[in-house]
Amino acid sequence: MSTTIQPERVLRELAELWVTLGKESDPGHSSGVLRACAMTLITLVEESEDPSDVWSTMAALMPEHPSRAIVIRFRESAARELSSRVFSQCWMPFGHRRQICCEQIEISASDASLPDLAPVVLPLAVADLPVIVWCRSARLFGLPEFPQIAKIAHKLLLDSSAFPDPPGILAQIQGSGKVVGDLAWTRLTRVRELISQIFESRNYLAQLPGVAQVKLTFGGSVPPPAVYYLAAWILDCLESAGAHPRVDWEPALGDPAGQISRVELLSSAPDGLRLAIGISGDRDRRCAEVQIDSLATHTVFPPDNDYSLLREELSIPGRDAVYERSLARASKLAAEKK
Amino acid sequence: MDRPCDKLKNMALENPFQDPLRFERRIPECAVAIFGANGDLTKRKLLPALYRLAYERRLSPGFAVVGISRTPMSDDQFRASMHDSVAKFLEDSPFDEEVWSAFAQGIFYMPGDIGDPQAFTNLAVSLKQIEDCRKTAGNVLFYLSTQPSQYAAAAKGIGAAGLAEGKGWRRIVIEKPFGHDLESARGLSNELHEVFRESDIYRIDHYLGKETVQNILAFRFGNGIFEPLWNRRYVKSVQITAAESIGVEGRGGYYQEAGALRDMIQNHLLQIMATIAMEPSATFQPDAVRDERAKLLRTIRVMKPDEVLANSVSGQYGPARIGGADVPGFRQERGVDSQSQTDTYAAATFFVDNWRWAGVPFFIRSGKRLPKRVTEIAIQFNSAPHAVFGDNGDEATPNLLILRIQPEEGISLRFLSKRPGAGMKLRPVSMDFNYGSSFGERSPTAYETLLLDAMIGDATLYTRQDMVEASWGAVEPILNVWQNQKFEFPNYDAGTWGPKAADEMLARHGHNWRTP
Repeated sequence: MSTTIQPERVLRELAELWVTLGKESDPGHSSGVLRACAMTLITLVEESEDPSDVWSTMAALMPEHPSRAIVIRFRESAARELSSRVFSQCWMPFGHRRQICCEQIEISASDASLPDLAPVVLPLAVADLPVIVWCRSARLFGLPEFPQIAKIAHKLLLDSSAFPDPPGILAQIQGSGKVVGDLAWTRLTRVRELISQIFESRNYLAQLPGVAQVKLTFGGSVPPPAVYYLAAWILDCLESAGAHPRVDWEPALGDPAGQISRVELLSSAPDGLRLAIGISGDRDRRCAEVQIDSLATHTVFPPDNDYSLLREELSIPGRDAVYERSLARASKLAAEKK
Repeated sequence: MDRPCDKLKNMALENPFQDPLRFERRIPECAVAIFGANGDLTKRKLLPALYRLAYERRLSPGFAVVGISRTPMSDDQFRASMHDSVAKFLEDSPFDEEVWSAFAQGIFYMPGDIGDPQAFTNLAVSLKQIEDCRKTAGNVLFYLSTQPSQYAAAAKGIGAAGLAEGKGWRRIVIEKPFGHDLESARGLSNELHEVFRESDIYRIDHYLGKETVQNILAFRFGNGIFEPLWNRRYVKSVQITAAESIGVEGRGGYYQEAGALRDMIQNHLLQIMATIAMEPSATFQPDAVRDERAKLLRTIRVMKPDEVLANSVSGQYGPARIGGADVPGFRQERGVDSQSQTDTYAAATFFVDNWRWAGVPFFIRSGKRLPKRVTEIAIQFNSAPHAVFGDNGDEATPNLLILRIQPEEGISLRFLSKRPGAGMKLRPVSMDFNYGSSFGERSPTAYETLLLDAMIGDATLYTRQDMVEASWGAVEPILNVWQNQKFEFPNYDAGTWGPKAADEMLARHGHNWRTP
């Protein structure tokens, strides 16, 4: 394996790739290919991960978030190793004559070459467009050189549920000062949205100040980051409505670890609000049973996968005030509980 | 101690759980009462749109639908019928039995005739029960999916049964046509206003619900680079085309009374023209946007009788052979008079009398049995003031901005570029933005957008009475002249781009129709 990458050469290969694509596509016509790019998306993965999983997520994201995708695959090695290849991802929209293509670059690197990476990646980023760094590995996040890569990111994506110490990672994210998207928070969108939908009703909204207890049931013995996030968000919202509830953390050892299985908002008054949302199913199909007063309804959530989570996060390139407020409080709650 | 309802009155209610960055707009708890529930519109458009909103989890937990029509049916029979319709007519979307079963719990049916006051009394009872068991808070959207001749009677029945007022909001949605001329449009409005306030009347124009029509607003007012060009100094002409490849498809009876000018230009295309040409509104509040649209419609120059024939063209398709199959002419269609004078094609040249658009022609055409189904707006810019490159065809290929509404929603900008190689030869190239492939997301159907808006109370994309009257004001002089003419129909073959007279109309202004 080679030990260096010349960004200029990679860029030249990309330019040649476009010329080839233009020649290959539809030779009888002049419709050509359409180059689409809205960001540079850099993904850091362990070499042990199946690359086809990552690339299939990238491919699914391309139509909505066309990007120059750079996937950096890391291996644990003390030797300095760096190599790259470029290729393209094209698709023909239904009923069209012209292909739309995005650029993809795969870089293989050893841990030891991490200090060399930032100067390679920086010139490969598309000018004037945001750079998003998605770190898929807790180990890579912890490497001392990681901040160098993170420094070029306008937004950093990670999944705190993969980290062994929830209070620690929440504090670390909060202390980073970066625009961060945590997929553990993104996974809560559907549940949060459901709660918000319920309180579009003015009758239920008027009962919010009476909520005295928030009960969160989760699988496993310790709350995962998502539980802290959800508790923080609910508490913030309830406090802004004039309520001052306590939080009860309810571990359910029988439920899958890390999953939230029930959310309850309870009033102390006998005729006050009693909202319970039971969540079941797996990542492919989650269902929620909502019980509020005498009304029971059933909702099906769309699948939670890397594609759907990234799709949402990539739609928010800037700061997310609601997330940042919840992160600050979640970090505090986790530290208190610790 | 305060009861919840006291708190409701005393507090400024805002949902603290909202997260607009991530959550879609939500519909507050309500019931939708559909008159004409056994009709085609309900089956093909309304229920599929409501189901899709349920699928997207946009509806409140206790959302309810009450179908009303003359056919005797139970709730379960109606649900079964709607199940099949939704599964069949759902566009670009999977049908999920589990979502349907949760949604169907809120579907009810009530047999009744709009002419029978008892039907409205029964509806009042039914809505009260639904309000109690589904917690709809007394909010009701009445949707008249009936013959236009029944609108006034339905509104009257709703008013007489006390259903236009209640604990929550009450709104009514009606479909076009909003009258068949200015006088009947005013008459209909007066009858609706006896029961509903204008702000609670939602006149649906499904064209305005299309993503690209909404995108015109984003394109014009969200970007700084186009608006400076958006005036008589830079724009030479605007063409709006709404072509259909199909004929009247069994609607000959209705269409014979309407015609292309009434059916398409008076409402859809003048609304599109208003969206293209209106001044920017100060805010994106519904009435601010609608005020600007209405102002534009009022500035359309009204043709004098002696100007009508030079600035408008009426057409009717004749039989032809298309793709190896014989296609009947309009007069050969079922339910159509063999001497019919109905326009299946209409074209008109409008001018807008204001500073921005003075002298710029707006060419509008719509027709049936044209070569393909396409709706688009083409804005033609003036040529460069001096031909630096000599005769390179830049006059023949002017800069064009094309806003495609259907079938492939998107925007294209055509400009000249140097042809590779020696010499300075230019050729037109197109820079394309395709809505579907650029965002990859499924666009909501027009009915999803418009139903959602009506339930939220956002009337931005709905037509207001003053807009209806202004557009009738522009179209009625043409209709009046046409009514006194005997046209030599048919004057275009099915499968062609309309009558020769339409080409001549543009030629008189020094223009040609584009071929979309």
